Amino acid sequence: MEKIIDLSPVARPVGRESAPWSRIQLKTRVAVAFASVVPAILGLTVLLLTGIDFMAMLFAVFLPIQVIAAALVGVLVYGRRGVLEGLLVVVTIFCASFIVVLLGSVLWSVIANGSQALSWQFIGQNNYYIKPNTSLEYGGVGHAIIGSLLIVGTSTLVTVPMGLATAVYLTETQGKTKGLIRTLLQAMSGLPSVVSGLFIYAAFIASGITTYAGWTGSLALIPLMLPTVARVSEEALRLVPQELRNGALALGAPAWRAFMLVTLPAARSGMVTAVLLGIARVIGETAPLVLTTFAADRTNLNLFGGAMASLPTYLFGFISMGFDESIQRAWGAALVIMILVAILFTTARLASRTRTTARK
Amino acid sequence: MTVNVERPIAVRRKLAAKPFSRADRLFFGVAKAAAFSAIVIVLLILAFLLSRSASTFAEQGIIDFIFGSTWDASLSPIKMQLWPMLWGSILISLIGTVLAVPMAISIAYFIEFMAPKRVAKVATLVVDLMAAIPSIVLGLWGAFVFTDVAAGWSKQLNALFGFIPIFENNSDNFLRSPFIAGLVVTVMIVPIIASITREIFSQMDRDIINASLALGGNRESTLRKVILPTAGGGVVGGILLGLGRALGETVAILYVLNLVFDTNWYQILESKGGSIASMIISKFGEAGPEEVGGLMAAGVVLFVFTLIINALASYIVAKAQPWRK
Repeated sequence: MEKIIDLSPVARPVGRESAPWSRIQLKTRVAVAFASVVPAILGLTVLLLTGIDFMAMLFAVFLPIQVIAAALVGVLVYGRRGVLEGLLVVVTIFCASFIVVLLGSVLWSVIANGSQALSWQFIGQNNYYIKPNTSLEYGGVGHAIIGSLLIVGTSTLVTVPMGLATAVYLTETQGKTKGLIRTLLQAMSGLPSVVSGLFIYAAFIASGITTYAGWTGSLALIPLMLPTVARVSEEALRLVPQELRNGALALGAPAWRAFMLVTLPAARSGMVTAVLLGIARVIGETAPLVLTTFAADRTNLNLFGGAMASLPTYLFGFISMGFDESIQRAWGAALVIMILVAILFTTARLASRTRTTARK
Repeated sequence: MTVNVERPIAVRRKLAAKPFSRADRLFFGVAKAAAFSAIVIVLLILAFLLSRSASTFAEQGIIDFIFGSTWDASLSPIKMQLWPMLWGSILISLIGTVLAVPMAISIAYFIEFMAPKRVAKVATLVVDLMAAIPSIVLGLWGAFVFTDVAAGWSKQLNALFGFIPIFENNSDNFLRSPFIAGLVVTVMIVPIIASITREIFSQMDRDIINASLALGGNRESTLRKVILPTAGGGVVGGILLGLGRALGETVAILYVLNLVFDTNWYQILESKGGSIASMIISKFGEAGPEEVGGLMAAGVVLFVFTLIINALASYIVAKAQPWRK
C-alpha cells in the first residue's frame, strides 16, 4: 500500500489547540470569580449593617479588600510578581468605572429632568410673552431650534468646502508645509470657544459694522468647526486606495477630474461623517454665540437682521434666572441638544459602517 | 569601470498628480488657499484682539495686567489685572488633568487590551459620544446635580486630610470651589485624552506586546516596560491637548465656581477661585467700553497661552505617529 506523505509545511494546529494561552485553568477562573464577588458582598454588608456613607464604604472597606483579593489571585496565577498585576487590574477597572458612573450621571440627569419639560408644544412654540416663572404649558424652544439650525447650517456651508479643500491639500499634494498646517489645525482644535466669540465681536460688532446678528454667530463657529471637518475628511481621503487615483491619472484625467470623479465619490461616506462630526462639535457651543448673536425670544428667520436665539443661548439664559420653571426649561433645552447630538452621531456611525461593508 | 550612459539605472518613479492644465492649477490653488486659511484665521484672531486691547495693555502695563491682582471697574482710572483668574485657570486645569489622566489611560487600556471585542466597540462609541457632550450641558449638571455631591466629598476630604495645606478650609462653605470645578473639567477632558490614547494604543505594533507576553511578562510589566515607553509620547501629547481644552473651558466652570479677584494659591476646597474664560463671559454683559478692552486683553492672554500648549501638544502627537507622514 502506498504511503501518503504530507508535503505541506508543519501543520498549524486548528481550533482550541491553536491558542493554548487562551485556555484558562479552572482554578484561575474560580479564583477570579471569587475575587470579583466577595469584596463587593463584604462592602455591601458593611454598608447595610453600619449605614455609613457610600463613598466612605467604597474607599475604606471595598477598595482595600478588593486590592488584597486581586493581589492574592495574582500570586496564585503568576507567582510573586502577580501582586502588581492584580493591582493593575483593580485600578484600571475602578478608574474606568468611576468616570463611566460620572458620565452616566450626566446623561441620566439630562434625560430624567429634561423629559419632564419635553412636549410637542415645548419643541414647537417660541418664547414670546414668556416670563422666567411662566408654567411649562406655555412657550418652548421652537425659535431656538430654528435659530440653531440656521446659524450652524450657515457655518456648515462655509466650513465644509474649506475643510475639504484643506484635506485635499494635505492628502493629494506634495506641499512642503503640510506638517505645519496639520500641527496648526490640531492646535486650533483646542481654541477656547470664548476667544473665537471675542474675535468676531472685535471684528464686526465692536467696530460698528453690525449689531448682534445670526451671521456673526455663524462666523464665530467657523474656527471651531474647521479643524474637525478638515481632520476627519483627511482621514476619509487617506482611506481611498492609491491605485484608484493612479488609475484615473494614467487614463489621462487631469488631477481635478480624477479627484472629483474618482477619489471624492470613493470617500463619500467618510465625508458625510466629517460633516456630521463637525456639526456635532459646534451645535452646543455657547460662549461664542452669547458674545455674537445674543438672545431673542421670538422666531427670527433673517440671519442678517437682529438678535437670534439658539439652543445653547436659550439654555444659558434660563439657567441663571433661578426659578424652578426656568431651570426646568433649561433641562428641556439640554435634552433637545443631546438628542440632536445623538442623532448626528448615530447617522455618522451608520455612514461609516456602509463604507467598511462596501470595501469587503 | 564604465557607466552605460544610454541606459541609466531605473529609479522607481513616484507617481504624483502635477498640475498640467489651467483647471488643475486652479484646483491645487484653491486647496492651498484653504489650507493656508487656517494660518490666516489664527493671525486674524490675534490681530483683531490685539487691536481692541492695545489701549488696555498700554494703560495698565503688560506686566501689571498679567501679574497684578486687582480688577475694579468702579475705580477711576479703571484698574484691570488678571493674575487671580490666570492662576485660577491653571490651578483648575491642573486639578482636572491630574484626576483625568489615570482615568483616561485606564479606559484606553481597558478598551484596547482587556475588554472583549464587542464590549470594546461599544465602549469606544460611548467615549466618542461623551466627548461630544456640550460644555453647557455639563455646566447645568454641575450646577444642579453634582455640586452638592462633590461638596460632600470635599467635606470628607477636609475632615480626613485637613491638616495638609491644600485641603485646608477655614470657612464652612465647600460649594463653588476650584476642586469642584476641577472635577467638572475632569468629566469633560477624560473622553478627549482617552480617545487620543486609545488611538495611539491601537496603532502600536502588536508583535512587541505579544513578544513581551511570550517572554513571560504579565500585563503589568508589559504595560510598564513595553506599552508606556512606546506610546508615551503620544499619550503625553493627548494629555496636553486635554490640558489646553481645560484652560479654555468657559460655561461648564461658570456655574460651579466662585470667581473672586483674590489669588487662591493652593487651597482647593475654599469657595474662591478664578478662570479667565468664565470671567470674560460673566463680565461681558455689563462691561463698559473700557472694560471690554480689558476682557479682550484677557482673551489675548488666554489665546496665546492655549495656543502654545496646543501647538506643543500636537507637535508631540505628530512626532509619536511617524507613520502619518
